[in-house]
Amino acid sequence: MRLTLVIYIIFLAACSSKEPMHNTQSYVFGTLVDITIYGESEDKSQLVADEIIRDFQQLHHHLHAWRPSKLQTLNAAFASGKTPVPIDAAIANMITEATVLSIQSKGAFNPSIGELIEAWGFHNDEFKPTNIDQEKINHLVNAKPQMSDIVIKNGYAFSNNPAVRLDFGGYAKGYALDSALTYLQNQGIKNALVNIGGNIIALGKHGEKPWRVGIQHPRKPNAIATINLESGWAVGTSGDYQRYFELGGKRYCHIIDPAAGYPVQGVQAVTVLIAPSANAGVLSDVASKPIFIAKPQARVDAASMMGIENFLVIESEHHIYISPALSKRLTWLDKDAEKYAVEYDTQTQP
Amino acid sequence: MTHLTTKFKPSKSKTIKSKAIKTNSEDFHIAKLTALAIGLHMIEAVIPSPLPGVKPGVANIVTLFVLYQYGFATAAWVSLLRVFASSLLLGQFLSPTFLLSLSGALLSLGALYVAQYLPKKYFSAISLSILAAFAHIAGQLIIVRLWLIPHTGIVYLIPIFALAALVFGLINGLITAKLIKNH
Amino acid sequence: MTHKLNHRLLLGDWLVIIASVVSIIFMFLQFWSFEQASKLKIRQGNQIIGTYDLNQTRDLHVHGALGDALISISQGKVRFKQSPCNNQYCVHQGWLSHAGEVAICLPNQISLHLIGVKSNYDSLNY
Repeated sequence: MRLTLVIYIIFLAACSSKEPMHNTQSYVFGTLVDITIYGESEDKSQLVADEIIRDFQQLHHHLHAWRPSKLQTLNAAFASGKTPVPIDAAIANMITEATVLSIQSKGAFNPSIGELIEAWGFHNDEFKPTNIDQEKINHLVNAKPQMSDIVIKNGYAFSNNPAVRLDFGGYAKGYALDSALTYLQNQGIKNALVNIGGNIIALGKHGEKPWRVGIQHPRKPNAIATINLESGWAVGTSGDYQRYFELGGKRYCHIIDPAAGYPVQGVQAVTVLIAPSANAGVLSDVASKPIFIAKPQARVDAASMMGIENFLVIESEHHIYISPALSKRLTWLDKDAEKYAVEYDTQTQP
Repeated sequence: MTHLTTKFKPSKSKTIKSKAIKTNSEDFHIAKLTALAIGLHMIEAVIPSPLPGVKPGVANIVTLFVLYQYGFATAAWVSLLRVFASSLLLGQFLSPTFLLSLSGALLSLGALYVAQYLPKKYFSAISLSILAAFAHIAGQLIIVRLWLIPHTGIVYLIPIFALAALVFGLINGLITAKLIKNH
Repeated sequence: MTHKLNHRLLLGDWLVIIASVVSIIFMFLQFWSFEQASKLKIRQGNQIIGTYDLNQTRDLHVHGALGDALISISQGKVRFKQSPCNNQYCVHQGWLSHAGEVAICLPNQISLHLIGVKSNYDSLNY
């Protein structure tokens, strides 16, 4: 059968060309970490990747929200009163950075609502649908925990609000991306791609071409589009498909609106592309949340509030919105999505 | 010889049913056309194609010509006779190649059966030829997918084969239209 | 018989030709925008369990952090068929067939990664 020939030729081509590329994967932060290093020796790549993974594991260990960790100790102290307790310098820096971003997002990004997240049952590796305790949710929302309630002074910290319960689930992966990038550069690595649970930061190139990243379709098994990630750029997505449970035919995702106390409904995914900066990784993790939480008409404002030019909002299969800046950088793979994608009119915004 | 304006005439199969087997010049002509189709089919089978699996299918010109001159039943006879006879002569009877030919021929006859009712005022032999070519390739790809290469990778080949079907269907259709006109 | 083939195309003929061209273009866009995968890489935790040809039909049992997962390869596509995890996201993801596609079962720490001639991208943002 001559048709088989064609197939074989396609397959043979697949087996050729070996690239100087090294790939390491591991499970940290409750998700998959994938480090790709290009253009270095196997040994060096392995050494550097292993070190990054060890750093990640340590960070995860310190910041774990529902197992004994430095963060949990701190949370216990915040809950018990205003007595200042010694604080780890790295965690103090994270709190400071997260507080700035929380204020910038007008509270939409709020890592101090750990109790609310726990109430929804997401403080579990294997969570199950929880019965919604309306009274408890009201109580937790009315307690109004804020990042600015935390006071850090001379290596000691306390909270003005006992309801503050830190959960860095929407921050730690981004922080880890930034520290990985710094470490890679310090080790003299020129080209690498780090992916922590879908949040990706790029360094250098993939040979002659820039690194290229696929954006997952929120409801299909394939990628919806691709974007080139130039050196220093980062990309992150908040989706209702990563951690969720279904109850009474309704989907409850892990992204909770701090003001309402409820998981956000009506959005499937928000992707942000971040230009190079000292905290590009953190922004890739954080900046998608205020857009995800905002009402449809307020999304463009939420993006500009976070300084985001490149973003993509997928409400449903036929309701896709994209910023003009990202539209220029993105290549659609899903032709249906391309047909339905509408560009945001960012010009008329004040 | 019949002309295009005449409606589809009683087919050959009917003639065979009559008690005394009489052959007339029409039967003789159809036999000659079948032989031509077999010849064209075999030439094509022997000549290597630059792209495996892609063939012009010139024997379909004969099928189409017979459809216009003698009606659908006769065209079906000529087409199926060609598939069986060629495969026997080439020693491919019941082989994958034979099954590909057969499924292609059956689907393309199916398409022609429907397409013959299209208004002649707007649709010439060219339309029928293109539609038959698409049906032919669809029949072959179904066999390939179900039996020979049960692999999702063949979706890659579908557009290439469809393009070839359009090009050859168009050319064969133009030739057929010319032949009918000159008859 | 004249040798010119400039037979006059009728209105319907043009319609057939135009419809054909449109559908062929559609087919190219539909079937060629993704790279079909040829191989599957399965990882459990930090280890590569193996690389498998997708051109076959077989079921694989992979022992994960929680227990045995059943991965099903079927002529060019692959899926999680059974998994001991609670949420079953991996099973719900369904069949993967294009290069670069990934299915990850986080609780069981098993990932499926499809490899092709050339992937459309280096890494997946999800």
